[in-house]
Amino acid sequence: MFQTGIRQFRMAMAMVSGRRIRPEVIEKLIADAAATLAEFGAPGDDVRELLEGPFADPEAREHFQTQGVRRTLRRLDRHSPFYRRRLAEAEVSALDIKGFEPASLHRIPVTTKDELVRYAREFVCDDVRPHLSTRTTGTTGKPVEIWLSVYEARLWPALAALAGLLRHEISPDDLLQVNLSSRATAAVQHDIEVCRLVGARTRVLGLVPAGQSLDALLEGATILGTYPSYLAGLLTEARARGLSARDFTLRRIDVAGELLSAAVADGARETFGAEVTDTFAMTEVLPLSGRSCERGHLHPDLNVGLVEVVRLDEDAPAAPGELGRMVVTPYFPYRDCMPLLRYDTGDLVRRLPEDTPRCSLAGIPGVSAIQGKASLLVRTADGPVTTRDVLEVIEGLPTRPWPARFRAWAGDDGRLRVCVPRSVLDDLGSDTAGLAEEFAERGIDCAVEIAAPDATPRAVRADLTETTFPGAEAPARPLEPHHV
Amino acid sequence: MSDLLVRQSMLQLAVTICASLGVTAAAVAYLRRYRLERPAIGTFDLRDVTILMTFIVVLPLFYLSLPYWVLTPFLVLTFGGALSIGLRPVLPRGAAWTVIGVLLGANLWVARTMLGTQTGWQLYWVCVGLVVFGAAVCVSNLYVQGGMRLRHAAWFTLALAVYDFTFSTVLPLTPKLADRFQGHPLNAAIGMRWDVFNAAIGVGDLLAFAVYAAAAYKAYGARAMRLVFPLVVVFGAAAPSLTPLVLHTFTRGSLNIVVPVQSWFGPPAFLLYRWMRAHYGPERTTAQFRADLDAEQVVRGLPHSQPVPVNN
Repeated sequence: MFQTGIRQFRMAMAMVSGRRIRPEVIEKLIADAAATLAEFGAPGDDVRELLEGPFADPEAREHFQTQGVRRTLRRLDRHSPFYRRRLAEAEVSALDIKGFEPASLHRIPVTTKDELVRYAREFVCDDVRPHLSTRTTGTTGKPVEIWLSVYEARLWPALAALAGLLRHEISPDDLLQVNLSSRATAAVQHDIEVCRLVGARTRVLGLVPAGQSLDALLEGATILGTYPSYLAGLLTEARARGLSARDFTLRRIDVAGELLSAAVADGARETFGAEVTDTFAMTEVLPLSGRSCERGHLHPDLNVGLVEVVRLDEDAPAAPGELGRMVVTPYFPYRDCMPLLRYDTGDLVRRLPEDTPRCSLAGIPGVSAIQGKASLLVRTADGPVTTRDVLEVIEGLPTRPWPARFRAWAGDDGRLRVCVPRSVLDDLGSDTAGLAEEFAERGIDCAVEIAAPDATPRAVRADLTETTFPGAEAPARPLEPHHV
Repeated sequence: MSDLLVRQSMLQLAVTICASLGVTAAAVAYLRRYRLERPAIGTFDLRDVTILMTFIVVLPLFYLSLPYWVLTPFLVLTFGGALSIGLRPVLPRGAAWTVIGVLLGANLWVARTMLGTQTGWQLYWVCVGLVVFGAAVCVSNLYVQGGMRLRHAAWFTLALAVYDFTFSTVLPLTPKLADRFQGHPLNAAIGMRWDVFNAAIGVGDLLAFAVYAAAAYKAYGARAMRLVFPLVVVFGAAAPSLTPLVLHTFTRGSLNIVVPVQSWFGPPAFLLYRWMRAHYGPERTTAQFRADLDAEQVVRGLPHSQPVPVNN
């Protein structure tokens, strides 16, 4: 207990002072946490404060963010070739950084994915030795490659394992089945390490055919980590086989990387008998992640980074309730090898209105659930339509077309057009009016088109899969030709 | 054998039985009734026993080296801190600090103004005893509710047995410490004055009994108490109190006696732990203990032992 207290103190001091956190201290705290849970069955009284930081107090939050931004800027100015140049262009000197306020961040332009791909080497800090590369999970074009140092590869899983243990998200009794892309090296390595540190078992399968994964799930998996679209495929397969909650031992399903619709989440809860957790995780801004509350808000982990919501068409803060782009700055010392400043994730969220009802994570400032990618936003005459707007309608249909396949765009008349496979309409009548009515019930005026059986238009999955890598035209993907 | 020594031993026996049984029973009752706050992460382990022993070895040297004007405030802080932890779930914050203030203030006042008479000495021991009693109950619960198991408590008492013997006979620090505290505020003992006789038992001994009993109750429930209470009476109170009647090693002058209580208590306490481990099986964890206690209280229709809300 005395040593645990000293370790907690060391961790807290490193966090407050902005020095690198020794991963071995966190790893020992994980063992301490496991012993605590074994003895008491639950963590102690101030666990919320330990996990969520000082964010309930606006003053403490502001101070913490200011310190985080300043020390990150300091490090970038000294060691990141790309940002040294960018800060000089923005006329932010080392002297300015000492008194820099987060409100002044708009002086520095956002970092785009295009820049990250084009100047990849210049983003690697000159005082760190890269150890592990991880790539975004995009299936088209040139993916973004992010390098991690040994420090990061040890620190991130250690922090996640500690939080996971204390929140009872993972325990030594669990078996985690990982259905993630093989390119998501960091995410897979992260899951394996978390399980090792906690003492849980890991089964890494990748994105294999849904039937194979389902067979494995039936063999004792208690946690599933995957993407929403893959979960939807598993769900469809499970229902086709007539499986139900009593056939599975799952207690949690963690999904990230794409949009999870309410229909798929409800279906997964019912069929697998497990809690479904929609998390925000993005390779480029790791280790910052976010959790969804029961009201559907996204609450990013602001201990490790700053989250801004900027307006769609300009680099200015979005108003409460306004749709905007999420811009993320992971702080030093959590991000070490290839840090990013004001990275434009391209993910669309709304700032929560001031009168938003309180939720269980109200101590952590939140935003709305992710609405889709900015690049896939459809600007109609009636206003912007997000991927989530369309996804919720299609995946909510009684035909359960999971995972949804559709294409959405604005016609010349400014009206929304949605192209879907015929299978989507099976129970809605032979014409498209039924589906248009479903959209109309949600206040969306649209014309529905049916994909031609032999057509291979550019398909848009109902997810955040990248389709806009510069220099690469997204290849066409069939719209479930067997059902068209 | 002098009559004086017999009467001194009888007073010592009465005082130690009352003090040790009172503290032991109160520690177990507190464990059943109140929950202390604990840190988010951390549970007691054998390394903590080592750290505790280090403090126990070092603190007497520290106490002996301090002038009284430093020692007294230090003791006020120590006892005040211990009592505040234990009273937090028992009383509202303001009431708790009032109680602590009155107890400590009375100690200082009585020790400075009333030691010229027998009544004054008796009042002194009452004041000192209340503080020490409360501190022993609170600190023992801090350890046991912090995850200290009977295994740890048994090793702790065994280590104390060695310590007590060493520092009572080989390096006589304990008698010096007893002399240094005598007649000063916050004497770390529970005692009583009767006629020319003065009997006391140190807070360390009482803490060891309380820790052992609470840990045993947490581990094995009421059946352990049927063994622990007799153990405390026989080896914690009777044997050390009566030792001077047969052994003169610990007697200085006529009635100045310091017996290493833990040397009597530690070995049988350790053996009893081994016996209970062999016959009762693995100890309950704190979670299992709380669950059993809650189930028992539901059956009896009593409220659960939830923490009492306090205004911080």
